[in-house]
Amino acid sequence: MNGRQEFENRIARVRRAMKETGLKTLLIYDCGRHNFLRMNYVAYLTDFISVGPQTVLVLPLEDAPVLFLAPNWDIPRARDESWVADVRPFKELWSRLATVTGKVGLAGREAMHVDMHDEISKLLKQTPDNAKDIIENMARCKGPFELERLRRAAEIADAGVKALHEEARIGLKEFELAAIVEYRMRFLGAEDNFGMVVAGDHNQALHPPTERVVKSGDVIIGEITPCVGGLFVQICRSMVVGRPAPAVPEKYAILKKAMGLGMEAAKTGAPAGAIATAINGVFTEEGYEKFCRPPFMRVRGHGLGCGSFAPGSLEDSNQTKLEKGMTFIIHPNQYLPETGYLTLGDTVVMTGAKAEPLTRSSWELYVKD
Amino acid sequence: MIFGRHSVLKRGCSTWDRQQMPEEEFQTRLAAVRREMAERDLDALVIYGDNFSFADLCYLTHYFPKVRGGLAVVPQSGALSLLLNIGSRDVPFAKTLTWVEDVRASGQVGRDGAELLRERGLERGRIGLVDSGQGFPLPELEGMRRELPKVNWHLSDTLIQPLRWKKSARELAALRGAGQLLREICEGLERFIRPGRQNFAVVADIDRLARDKGVEDIRIMVGEKRLEPPGAKMNSNLENHWAVYLAIQHDRYWVETARTYILENNSKALASYQKAQQIVANMAACLKPGNSIDSIKNVARGELGEFYSTASSYGLGNGIGLNQWEAPIFSEEEARLLGATTEYAPILQQDMTLALRVVFDTEGKLILFGDTFEVAAKGSVSLLGS
Repeated sequence: MNGRQEFENRIARVRRAMKETGLKTLLIYDCGRHNFLRMNYVAYLTDFISVGPQTVLVLPLEDAPVLFLAPNWDIPRARDESWVADVRPFKELWSRLATVTGKVGLAGREAMHVDMHDEISKLLKQTPDNAKDIIENMARCKGPFELERLRRAAEIADAGVKALHEEARIGLKEFELAAIVEYRMRFLGAEDNFGMVVAGDHNQALHPPTERVVKSGDVIIGEITPCVGGLFVQICRSMVVGRPAPAVPEKYAILKKAMGLGMEAAKTGAPAGAIATAINGVFTEEGYEKFCRPPFMRVRGHGLGCGSFAPGSLEDSNQTKLEKGMTFIIHPNQYLPETGYLTLGDTVVMTGAKAEPLTRSSWELYVKD
Repeated sequence: MIFGRHSVLKRGCSTWDRQQMPEEEFQTRLAAVRREMAERDLDALVIYGDNFSFADLCYLTHYFPKVRGGLAVVPQSGALSLLLNIGSRDVPFAKTLTWVEDVRASGQVGRDGAELLRERGLERGRIGLVDSGQGFPLPELEGMRRELPKVNWHLSDTLIQPLRWKKSARELAALRGAGQLLREICEGLERFIRPGRQNFAVVADIDRLARDKGVEDIRIMVGEKRLEPPGAKMNSNLENHWAVYLAIQHDRYWVETARTYILENNSKALASYQKAQQIVANMAACLKPGNSIDSIKNVARGELGEFYSTASSYGLGNGIGLNQWEAPIFSEEEARLLGATTEYAPILQQDMTLALRVVFDTEGKLILFGDTFEVAAKGSVSLLGS
C-alpha cells in the first residue's frame, strides 16, 4: 500500500466514525510537541509533523480537509510532506470556524491551552466533543505501513546499542555516551530520540546524562527510543565497562528470565497485565517483591509507536486484551539492592498468536573488559 | 521566529553548576516575585512549566522538566514546592537540578497540585496561575480548578516575565558561556559541510559536536531553499548552498545563530550573504538602552526592501534567555503565536539579550544570517563574540 492510499483510508475511517457519532466536523489539534507519551493526531492523519505551536486540521464530513498552521514559512513543507492539498496560515482558522455548522468534535484537547479552547468554543457556539477516541481506536493496532517504519526504527535502535558497545570506554562522561548513541541513530535517519544513558557502580534509576565520568566496573544502562516517520521504538540494555562486580551478571540473569516469561505471557487475546504478573512473579520468587512497587518500580512496559495508550501501561491490573498489531515495549527493568538499576527490554508487535520482537540486540549483559 | 523540531526528551547534559548559579541568585529572584505577588494581593503562585517552555518555572527553581510538565507552588511565605510529573524513583535526580527541597512525584499534577494547595491551607486563597508557555494540559487544569472551588484564581502570566527581561550578572555570564560554546560549534561544523553528503548525516555531525560539548538541548533547521527539521523525509544531498539555523540550550540558557554556507563561486549569492550580515550588524547597532524595537524594524525595512516581507515571516528577532523566544517580541503576530495578545517590551533596556536574524531568497536559495546579542550600556555585544 502506498502512503497516499494509507492516509486516504485513515480519513475514510475517521469519517465513518464521525458519521456514527453524529459529528459534522472534526478539529484535530497539535501543539508542535511530537511525543510518544501523547499521540500526535495531526501527524497520524496527515503524515506531517509540525514545528510550530499551532496546527489544526479541519476535517468536514464531506468537504476536503484543510490544514491550518503557523509559522507561515513552514506551510510549503506541509504542502510537500502531508497528504492535505489545502494548507493555510493558522490565522485563517478563525474565519473558517465561524462558518462551521453542526456537531463538532475535537481531538487534541489534552494538549490545547484553555484560551484557545475557549476561543474555538466561542466561535463554534458550542463546546466540541472530545473525539480523541475516534483516532486512538484506529491507531491502537498497526498495519503494514506503520510496521515498515517501526521495523526501520528498530534497526536504528539496535544500531544505537551497537554503537554504545563499540565506543563506550572508561574516562568518557555520561553525556558523551548519550551522544555516541544519538549520533549513530541520527546518522541512520532517526529524527528524534527519547534517550537516557547512565553509568555508575550503583545506578538508582535512568535519567538524562550528567558529567559523571565512566569508571572501571561501571554498569551502563540505556533506554533508547528513536523516532522514524513519527513512530517510536524503544530498546533497553545494560553493559559493563571493565570487570563487572560478581553480583551484576548473577542478578542480570533474573532480568533475562523475567524478559523471557514476559514475552511468553504476551499472547494475543490475553490481558496486558499478564505480562507484568509474569515479570513480577520472577522477581518475587527471587525475594524482591517489595522492589516491584514504587518507589522502585511500577510498570513493566507500555504502548509504543504513535502513543502509549494501547495496550497502556503493563501493570498487574491492566485488563486490556492484547490484539494483533499492537506494539509495545516489555521491559523488566529493575532496581536491585545488590546491583542498582539494571535495564533490559524490547519493543514487540503482537502477531496472530504471540509477541514478536522488533528490536533484535542480544539479551546478554555486554561486558567490555 | 524560527521554530525547530521539539525534542521528546531533554537528553543532553543535565547538571546544576552551583558556582555559576548559586542558591543566593534564586533567593533574590524569589524576593522580587514575592514583592509582585504582594502588589497583586496574591497568597500564592502556581507556575506551570514543561520541557517546551520552562522559563518561569526555571527562573525560580532552576529545575527544567525533561519530558512531562510540573508545577511550582510559591506561597507568599514559607518553602516552595515542586510537583513534577515523574516517577517517584526519579525524585533524587530531579533534586540535583534544583535548590528546592520539597520535590514530589505526581502522575496527575492538576489533582495533586490541588491537594498540595489544600495542605498549605490555600484552598480559599487568591492564587496566581502562571502558564506563559501555554502547556498546562487542559484536563489537568480543569481538574485542579474543580478540586478547589473556593480558590480565587488570577491569570498571572505576566507576573514573572518582566522580571526576566533584564538579565542579572550571573545570567549574562551563563549566556556568554552558551554563546562561546555555540561559536565553537559553528567553527567545528564547517568541516562537515561538503557537497554530496546527505543532509541528515551532516545534521548528525552537528548534533554530535554540540552534545559532546555538553549542551542541554539543541535545535537544528537546515536547507537550501527552505529550513527543514531533521527527519526521515530529509533524503536529499547537500549541494553548493546550505542555510543552517542553530539554537542551543546550555546551563538552562538559549542562544542562537544562523549561517549560510556557499560552496561555489556564486558571486550573487556571496554578495547577498554579505548583505545579510551587514543588515544584521546595522540592526544590532540599534541595540542600545532606550531605543525601541521599532528602530530595529525600521533599519531592516529600509535595507531589505522587497525582501522585508520574507524576512519578517521568519521573524527579525526576539528576546532570548531561559526561553528560546521571549520579550522583546517584534510583532503582534509573533506575540500571538506565543500566546500573548500584544507585542511587549517595545523599549530596549540594558542587559536584555536578543537574537537578531535576516532571512531572504536569492535565485530561489535561502540566505540566512543571525546572531545573539547583549544590550550593553554602550551598545550591542555579540554573545558569540562575532
